[in-house]
Amino acid sequence: MDQPVLRGEGSVGAAGHADPVAAPTPASIAPARRTPWWAWALSPIALLPLIFIVLIALVLLFSGDLKLLFEPGFWSFNFYFNPLAPSQAVWAFPLYLVGTALTAGIALALATALSLALAISTTVYLPAWLGRSLGTLTNLLAGIPSVVYGIWGYVVLAPYFGLTLQPALRSYLGWIPFFGGPLSETASGTGVLLASLILTIMVVPLTTAIIRDSLVSVPHPLLEASFALGATRWETTRRVRLRVARSGVRGAVFLGFGRAIGESVAVAMVIGGQTQIPPSIYSGTSTVSAFLLYQQDSAFIYPALLHALVEFAVVLLLITLVFNYLAQRASGERGAVGPTSAAGI
Amino acid sequence: MATDTMTSRAAPEDLGHRSPRLARRMFMDRLLRWLLPLSFLLVLLPLFDLLYYVGVRALPTFTVATVTTNPVGFGGGLLAPIVGTLVLISVATGFAALVGIAAGMYTAEFAPRPIARTARLAGNLLAGIPAIVVGYFGYFLFVLATGNFSTLAGAITLGIFMVPYVYRVCDLALARVPHEQREAALAMGARRGQYLLRIALPIAFPSILTGIFLAMAIGLGETAPLVLTAGWSNTPVTNLLGPTSYLTGIVYQNYQFPTTLGNLVTLAFQAALLLVVIVLALNIVVQFIAERYRKRLRGLF
Repeated sequence: MDQPVLRGEGSVGAAGHADPVAAPTPASIAPARRTPWWAWALSPIALLPLIFIVLIALVLLFSGDLKLLFEPGFWSFNFYFNPLAPSQAVWAFPLYLVGTALTAGIALALATALSLALAISTTVYLPAWLGRSLGTLTNLLAGIPSVVYGIWGYVVLAPYFGLTLQPALRSYLGWIPFFGGPLSETASGTGVLLASLILTIMVVPLTTAIIRDSLVSVPHPLLEASFALGATRWETTRRVRLRVARSGVRGAVFLGFGRAIGESVAVAMVIGGQTQIPPSIYSGTSTVSAFLLYQQDSAFIYPALLHALVEFAVVLLLITLVFNYLAQRASGERGAVGPTSAAGI
Repeated sequence: MATDTMTSRAAPEDLGHRSPRLARRMFMDRLLRWLLPLSFLLVLLPLFDLLYYVGVRALPTFTVATVTTNPVGFGGGLLAPIVGTLVLISVATGFAALVGIAAGMYTAEFAPRPIARTARLAGNLLAGIPAIVVGYFGYFLFVLATGNFSTLAGAITLGIFMVPYVYRVCDLALARVPHEQREAALAMGARRGQYLLRIALPIAFPSILTGIFLAMAIGLGETAPLVLTAGWSNTPVTNLLGPTSYLTGIVYQNYQFPTTLGNLVTLAFQAALLLVVIVLALNIVVQFIAERYRKRLRGLF
């Protein structure tokens, strides 16, 4: 098959055109109109979202103590905080970053695989009506509040994980690194594994919706060409559809990762909260977002803690903005990966 | 699988007879056809498990008293949190709708192209900012500035978090109004403002409503922005400048207690049940309107 042609179409397909021979978009046939001066002058109205972002960034930057970011203690791995001697506090930010990267990373790996399977089955294999109703059900998953996932994880899943699933995993898969470890680590049920799995379920609707959109918008002539060459549905999916929709998949992964990093409530409820590098996937740890959440009442009392938390929030904000921007870049200019993606609008 | 399957061809006389490789390729296709849809089980199982257990924990003791009494000590009901959530979500939705629709209309209709592009990007980025970060922002901007936790601080913080949902939907809905409508309006001598208010807005209205419902569903389920701004009060809120309780807060505060201690955990599950029911209802309305609107738009062409 002629690869360069596919690559060339890829950018078009991912940009959200369902049909390459469709009528030209209104923007392209509209006569170039002069922009009146007042349209420029009043543009802050359109830029309100940007103004909010800048406002959030500025308030956080000026509320804390930016110098903290450049102290070696902030970047050490040995957390120490004594309310009676706040000046000696060591915040150990990377500790939480490890927890964040670990849970979000596992969640995204699982969610991407699951979303690809879901999206491919609805667009390629299932009849349209079934795909649509199952898709609606998946979208419902996106609507369930994170705090409900949290209490379900803590009250319903954690005992099962602690008593049954995790000891079993440990005894059968213990030879794999991080699947073994001391038995006591598995007992509570809360920890990296549970948090990652809950994050997976929370992210799946979002990534699935975006991947499905980009799979659907692959130009049909490319698929027809592949079928005409005798390729099966799976071969066409793997070599044409997925290849053309690649950028959409990448956008979904970035967006999902940003979402997973930022999730605080559900993760805080099921991750255990220990300040440690988890020795196994069953161990409790903490993430940046979760730490920000469950230290907040202490922070209202100890200004030193509050100052450190603000810097945590600043770095978290920066990281999520980067991942969200990468998602926008990857998925093309049409902004297919907006806040509305998972709602099926 | 061989790498050159794309170039292989079956000679006409081979059609009745399958080569081993063709059989293998077709087997792979059939296998995945049955295997991949099974992934829905992995998604629907947790969904139903969650709904089932929330129902099982919440419903047996769910009485009228649950929604007519305030939380007290280790027991009580959900009256104050329900009222608080309703007040918070009303104010926040008002704020988000006002800002989101204004910005969306301007982006779709008047903004010069580079501004519109930046604004859309910013809208998508704003939706990606973690709720807890928005919460700290609200704490510094509203709580520290006014000196106390208040319903209004919580509602505005929540509202900022909800803005991008209304904004993006409003912008998209206006952009999707068929171009013929604009041409017809302008040909009749309408100005852009007239076209926007009299033609585009009524057509896009169901979609914009969808965006508002979606934002409400998102806002109802948020905990983190409120924990840092709204404070807590076990009596129904009467003053926007006073603290309030809210349903997600009940879940978050109570979930860790032993189930034998009063009805704290049960109350948490009952709050969770109310949230799930309201949010799912809103989501179903959203899906329904979106589906109908899609059909209506298609009919116009």
